Amino acid sequence: MANILVCDDDREIVDAIEIYLMQEGYTIFKAYDGQEAIRVLKEQQIHLLLIDIMMPKLDGIHATLKIREYSSIPIIFLSAKSEDNDKILGLNIGADDYITKPFNPLELVARVKSNLRRYTTLGNLNTENNALFQVGGLCINDDTKEVTVDGESVKLTPIEYNILLLLVKNCGRVFSIDQIYESIWNEEAIGADNTVAVHIRHIREKIEINPKEPRYLKVVWGVGYKVEKSV
Amino acid sequence: MGTEGKENTEAVEVAEHIDQGEIADVMESGDKGDQEGKRKQEKVKKPKKTRRGLRTFLRILQHAALAAMVFSLIVTVACGTMRVVGMRSGAFVELFGNMEPGESFEQSEFFNGVLGYALADIIRFGVVSSQMETAGAFDGEKLVDVTAYNQRSTGLSGEYITAVYKLEDLLKWQKYGFEYSVEKMTQEQAAAFLAKTTQVSVTKMVDDTEVKPYVQYRIVDSDSGFVTDYQPASALADHAEPELKSEREIVIVNPYEEEVEEVSEYAVLINRYKTAEGKKVEDYVSDWEQYYALCDSVQNAAKSLAYNYEEYLTGEKYFRPENSNVRFLIEKKEDHVTQYYSNIEAGSSERSDCLKMMEKLSRGEKDSVQVPYLYYSPAEMVYRTNTPIGESTVREVLDQYAYAYPEDVRIWISVDTSYSAPDAFKQGAEYMPNLWQWAMTALVSGLLYLVLFVWQTVMTGREYDEAGVKRIRLETFDRIPTEGALLIAIGVFLLTGWVCIVAIGIAGIDPTDLAFYREAVRWDWFIAAILIGVFVADVIFTFFFYSLVRRIKARTLFRNSYLRRLLSRLKEFAWEVYDNGGIVLRTWVPYVGFLLFNLLMGIAFAALSYPGSGWILVILFTCAVDAVVGVMLYRDAKERQGIAEGIEIIAGGRVEHQLNTEGLHGDNKTLALSVNSIGKGIKEAVEISMKDERMKADLITNVSHDIKTPLTSIINYVDLLKREQVGSEKARDYIRVLDEKSQRLKQLTDDLVEASKITSGTISLHFERINLTELMNQTIGEFSEKFDEKNLVTVMNVNTGNVVVEADSRRIWRVMENLFNNIYKYAMPGTRVYVSMDQVGKEERVQVSIKNISENYLNCKPEELTERFIRGDESRTTEGSGLGLSIAKNLTLAQGGTFEIELDGDLFKVFLTFPLAAVEEQEETTGKNNA
Repeated sequence: MANILVCDDDREIVDAIEIYLMQEGYTIFKAYDGQEAIRVLKEQQIHLLLIDIMMPKLDGIHATLKIREYSSIPIIFLSAKSEDNDKILGLNIGADDYITKPFNPLELVARVKSNLRRYTTLGNLNTENNALFQVGGLCINDDTKEVTVDGESVKLTPIEYNILLLLVKNCGRVFSIDQIYESIWNEEAIGADNTVAVHIRHIREKIEINPKEPRYLKVVWGVGYKVEKSV
Repeated sequence: MGTEGKENTEAVEVAEHIDQGEIADVMESGDKGDQEGKRKQEKVKKPKKTRRGLRTFLRILQHAALAAMVFSLIVTVACGTMRVVGMRSGAFVELFGNMEPGESFEQSEFFNGVLGYALADIIRFGVVSSQMETAGAFDGEKLVDVTAYNQRSTGLSGEYITAVYKLEDLLKWQKYGFEYSVEKMTQEQAAAFLAKTTQVSVTKMVDDTEVKPYVQYRIVDSDSGFVTDYQPASALADHAEPELKSEREIVIVNPYEEEVEEVSEYAVLINRYKTAEGKKVEDYVSDWEQYYALCDSVQNAAKSLAYNYEEYLTGEKYFRPENSNVRFLIEKKEDHVTQYYSNIEAGSSERSDCLKMMEKLSRGEKDSVQVPYLYYSPAEMVYRTNTPIGESTVREVLDQYAYAYPEDVRIWISVDTSYSAPDAFKQGAEYMPNLWQWAMTALVSGLLYLVLFVWQTVMTGREYDEAGVKRIRLETFDRIPTEGALLIAIGVFLLTGWVCIVAIGIAGIDPTDLAFYREAVRWDWFIAAILIGVFVADVIFTFFFYSLVRRIKARTLFRNSYLRRLLSRLKEFAWEVYDNGGIVLRTWVPYVGFLLFNLLMGIAFAALSYPGSGWILVILFTCAVDAVVGVMLYRDAKERQGIAEGIEIIAGGRVEHQLNTEGLHGDNKTLALSVNSIGKGIKEAVEISMKDERMKADLITNVSHDIKTPLTSIINYVDLLKREQVGSEKARDYIRVLDEKSQRLKQLTDDLVEASKITSGTISLHFERINLTELMNQTIGEFSEKFDEKNLVTVMNVNTGNVVVEADSRRIWRVMENLFNNIYKYAMPGTRVYVSMDQVGKEERVQVSIKNISENYLNCKPEELTERFIRGDESRTTEGSGLGLSIAKNLTLAQGGTFEIELDGDLFKVFLTFPLAAVEEQEETTGKNNA
């Protein structure tokens, strides 16, 4: 399958990640600092890099900058730095994802999977089919009423499906609860309650790896909901 | 306004209607009126509606009481004051009648007082009568021995020179005047003018009691050295009447040789009347000294008799039965002839009854006299009376006229109790018995007035609103500024006073004349005038007085005055000038005032000290000095203002501000430097504190990073352990605990970092327009599963239209998340959670309140809950860091909101307020913008 390089100065963390990913059938290469990671990348055919930021010799940021000079493999930061600024910095310099320590192993695995899929199979958009809507790993086929996330089918109720379709069709636009209610139920929202919010919550649990930090269906607090244009 | 005005006119009208009836009642019996008033007062106390009617009634009653009192007082004073006109003209006595109730008038002190005066008058009258009368009638032929008359009270010496004239001649002579002529006479002529001998009367005891003069002649040599000009004869000479001159015979007597040719001037009495013997004065004496003594005697006797004659005439009229109720009879023996002096007609039955009575009393028989009487007979040692006048009083009076009342005199005095003659007795008898009733009326109505006056003073303006709370109601007149009201009051009083004076003037009444009132109390128009006048005067007075009282009660006396307005304007103006005038005004206004004063004083002083034009130079010099001082003052003030502005800037938060100390001097420089160093100190302190806070936050962040790395391993390996098929049940249990605690440690570190960042102020906020309803719905939606898990039902009420606020959407979500997590963790399962939104305050804020019922007993204060690491249960065993509420509160404050927790038993309430954002866009557009 895919080769994954895990780079962290904490050997136990590396080992743990190795266990999780090996269970999923990936081949794991290990490195314990930035220089080592770069060396391994040169030596081996690596499909995805999991790298810590704070490391001796060469930190994750600089390593990523160097790697990006010649490689476009998915890079996921794995850091204890959980501030927004850190995340923004990491993503801006070329990382594809950012996972904060301590992480949920399942989330880690899901993210790795997601990034690999994007890198290997879903490189291009299929825009021929008008009934096909795709945002990142989220794909909706309106003809078959089928929803897949990273190629995996998701089962949604009709209302959930309609809400998701509405948001995906108009991705990037924020819909308030009232607007969603009026569109889906075709009724005037009189002091709309939390029905829509509950549905959204359910959708998020079904399609998101970590519902608290959703990738697709995002909550704009105090305003409404939206699906990001690109993930 | 309308009602008050109406009331007053009504009051006056009613007063006029009832003054005949009701007021008369009150006057007749003050007690009755008083009781009636009280009864009515009690009767109408209950129903509120009649309260106003009651007040009006009491007000009228009050005026009526005053009117009654004034009238009663007039009656009491006017009729109770007797003017006892004595017999002698001009002599009178005023007495206040004082009589015990039940006492008869004849027993009263007043009656006896008047009787006492009458007694004195009668005895006096008896004296003059005896000089004028013979057998009860005036006798002009009565002979008067002038020297004996003059010496009547001191007694006569054994031998004396006298002349006897007819009474009427002496009276006439006194009337026309005694005149002297100046005659030039030689010694011989002078000697010849007088009689050769002096006629001397010698007193001799007659019947051992009476002095009877008899005449004797004696030759006396005249004294040649007698000074002739001791009388002011020259002045009298001109008045000598020419026709009398022919009658005068000048006899020149010269017992010496003719060698004396010297002519002297002699004042000679013109003998208008001759003596009873037909002689002249000079015929009785042979000596000039004796001549002048005799002339004096004649003259004195005539003068005294004339005076007594006047008195006699007055007395005779005064004691006439038609003028006096006093009856008297004086019996005395003159030359063995019994003479009666009386105002009881001689020969009448009354006279004889009187005499019989006297005899009876003299004999000591029991008297049966009904009328007040007084009988005195010193010879018989009898004094009888039924009045309190004692014998000593009578004797005392009689002793003054002992010469006229010999021992055998008998005096009878009585009072005719039919009081037919209009004298003091009649007046007393008429008013005295009723006087105490009038006085009581005056007293009672006066008291009634006082009570009502006090009551009205207390009650005026008092009012109760629906809730029964006391308040002061001001009439329209009370709202007129105090000075205006005062002017109106003065105007009304002056006008009223003027009208009264004019009215009294037209009526021709002397208000100080008591007799007028005495007469007037019987006139209907006078009574009506007094009652209406006093009533109206009281209405006017109370109108203004109660207004004053209401003003004082409502504390508007000063507040609603022009004076206060003026003062407050002045104060405002002064402050305005002071505040806005800036340094120039603040410094220069007092300085210029001071300067002007100094200048004036200086000019005065310099002009005095340096006469000429030199003083102008002095003034110019001092002016220059003053100008320099002025500039210095200005500069000083300006510097200070600069410092004050600098301090304000520092106080406003810009602690880095430094004052420019260049160009400052003295205290100002010290002040500026101190301010600078204070500012610097504050700045340093703030910086240090900020640095500390930042360092702390950094430390916590770093530590948390260092914790997170091993924590990641723990969590991962615990997770891996879980996946291993651990056989032992115990081991699985341990792993579960490890899992939970590691997760909690993770949460704790996250929260710790968050909390420290908020307190150190290192979080950056991105404000957006947030719809709170949307947010709450989203939040409730997010927590729906968790809440379902615990069977919590959310009830949301939105009571306000506009719920859009400016906030950082992620942070505000964090606040709600923490609060809802808190509820999830600590709320009693199966209860309801209330979320409501209301608009509060004037500042356009929206309040979000979240209420739930706590499962555990909360034993801490609300404010403690928002402190770090505090949890209501104190056990610290459940999940959560104890930082949730602290973070929520600090985040809310950071977004300009307020955060408040209330504990009401188990009811846990959180109140959040946020400032509302300005309504500018539709929700749809905001949605688009945010995309």
